[in-house]
Amino acid sequence: MTSGTYTLGGLLAAALVATMPMAGLADEAKVALVPGGPHPYFAAWEQAGADAAKDFGLSAADYRVPQQWELSQQNELLESLLTQGYNSFLIFPGDPVGTVSVVDELTGEGATVISLAGCLKAPSADAFCLGTDTGNSAYLGTKELIKAMGGKGRIAHFTGFLVDPNTQLRIDAVQRAADETNGAVTVVQVIADIDAPEPAEEKINAYLAAEAANVDGIVTTAWVPAVVASNALRRIGDKRIKMVGIDHDEVVLQAVKDGFVNGTMLQNPYGQGYIGSFAASKMRGGCTVKADAPFKSTALTEKFIDSGTVFVDATTVDTYVAAMQGITKDLMGTFEATYLDCPA
Amino acid sequence: MSQNEAFGIADIQHEPDNATRSWRRLLLTNEFGLILLIVAFTAIFAILAPAFLSRFSLFAMGRTMAIDIVIGLSMMVVIVTGGLNLSVGATAVCAVMFAGWLIEAMGLPLPVAILGALAMGAGLGWINGMVIVKSGIHSFIITLATMSIFFGVMIFLTRAEAFRALPPEVAAFGKAKIGGYLSPLLLVTVVVALALAYLYRYTALGRRMLAAGASPAAAELSGIRVNRTFVACHVLSGLLATVAGLMLTARTGAAIPSMAGHLGQDWLLPAFLAPVLGGTLLSGGRVAVAGTFLGGALVTVLSAGLLLMQVGEFWVKAVLGLLLLLAVFADKGRRVWLAKRKMA
Repeated sequence: MTSGTYTLGGLLAAALVATMPMAGLADEAKVALVPGGPHPYFAAWEQAGADAAKDFGLSAADYRVPQQWELSQQNELLESLLTQGYNSFLIFPGDPVGTVSVVDELTGEGATVISLAGCLKAPSADAFCLGTDTGNSAYLGTKELIKAMGGKGRIAHFTGFLVDPNTQLRIDAVQRAADETNGAVTVVQVIADIDAPEPAEEKINAYLAAEAANVDGIVTTAWVPAVVASNALRRIGDKRIKMVGIDHDEVVLQAVKDGFVNGTMLQNPYGQGYIGSFAASKMRGGCTVKADAPFKSTALTEKFIDSGTVFVDATTVDTYVAAMQGITKDLMGTFEATYLDCPA
Repeated sequence: MSQNEAFGIADIQHEPDNATRSWRRLLLTNEFGLILLIVAFTAIFAILAPAFLSRFSLFAMGRTMAIDIVIGLSMMVVIVTGGLNLSVGATAVCAVMFAGWLIEAMGLPLPVAILGALAMGAGLGWINGMVIVKSGIHSFIITLATMSIFFGVMIFLTRAEAFRALPPEVAAFGKAKIGGYLSPLLLVTVVVALALAYLYRYTALGRRMLAAGASPAAAELSGIRVNRTFVACHVLSGLLATVAGLMLTARTGAAIPSMAGHLGQDWLLPAFLAPVLGGTLLSGGRVAVAGTFLGGALVTVLSAGLLLMQVGEFWVKAVLGLLLLLAVFADKGRRVWLAKRKMA
């Protein structure tokens, strides 16, 4: 976990504890926060779960990570957690379709399931999906990049694994933003399957070594490519190539501060874990999802709640924690009234 | 009369009868050692974590081991040639995605789609086999390449989109419970294993596979068409990988590109672990169908037990490796002990 994550987590926890009601919630909820595999993005969930367990009196809100990023590993872990007595699951689906079946089984055994940070493809048995609208985030990030490029130029897009349908949504979103310039901006290269250090280092550095002179902008829509591309631009050093990254790795944030990266699209992993645990505890206590809850629609689901995304540049990078705090606090403050029907 | 005869020792040193020899042979088999280990670990886990033997746990374990065993068998049938097949996962994904396409896009009934998938898997296995025997290059290199080719073409054609509008009986089969705790997938695995045992023990093709794997030159001299036999092994591997893929499709209720991970690599560990633990010689010429079955079962029991005991998820892999190493040493110790007792 990065120090930034600790800072973010601590500040959010302090702010939320001070502003939210804490008593009267069910105490029988035993929550498991389960990502698809080890990845720095999810590190904030651990603190979020711990804070939620303390603030809402949960019997547990444990961060349990599959040992590898494998759908089968996640499925086996979820089955084991159910056997261990967990009754609430906040899951980043290992696959939007492939996880539907195990979620059906979990809910069939009486568990509460909320998709977190990534959605299941509808129809699915999860209560709702709380996460980032990945396509919209990629679109907004690309628009910021185009603005930084002066409205024209050539873009390279570095992104995540192709087996993740979100990747295709991101690719389409970046292309859509470029298409809106009527040819002034073109996406000249998409490099995917690189959300891991080794392939990201190899492919991004090789590409920039050969093509840096022919690229005016870089947009990254996955964590590791954002880090690697930030380092690469720092090494190149001339700041000619503009870049918009994603997430809050210290490397990316420092590159934004130093002017090598123009900005980054922040997501809200701590808020996801904290609010998700809160929602799970309420649902274990008898609350149900409102039939007319104002969910948003995405390409995957009709039950989407946006946990927030913010563009941060050099002028706002030092205050991004406050920005995310604000989003989380707003969402938390109205969550129960907006999305849940609770017994009196 | 010698002193020994006088004390009746000569009787002890007589040649053992058939029943005794059979018993000694059984004690020395790899399979017997695996059965002992499975029983021992099951007892330990059941004592330390009583939920280990709960109905849901038994069902989940049975389903997991059913698929892992068939994956192991798909590798075993190629290891018999002294080679290997790194593309088992990619082959399976291609085949089941083809089945999904036949159902969703072509509107064909499920049985036809299953036959189509098996034909696709066999065809991809045939490609592997032909390229290997025609080029003379080791199967490691060829199947490493075809793993990427098969998977890459599949991703290109499907755009990583899953086929989930499968007939409901597919998912129902994956979720079905016989007697409340037994997955029917395990029965499929038993049938596959029995068919393979019959192949190697009672058919000319099976004996040719063993002979060609043990010594290709000697087999060639005795009239066996070794290249053709090796191609048949790869076709069989493709077929079995497809069976495993279809079982996994029943498990997830959809044909999904990520079912075997990136490039199908998630399958490599179970593919090697089960046959090697089971006693299949990596140098070729010897198979152990029952051993592969038991090896897969042991790995599943260990993984499920460790997860249930809440050994940190990141430690499961390490502990699993350590336990497997201890298991191998224990088995070797058992053989040495028996040999010293002149039971060999």
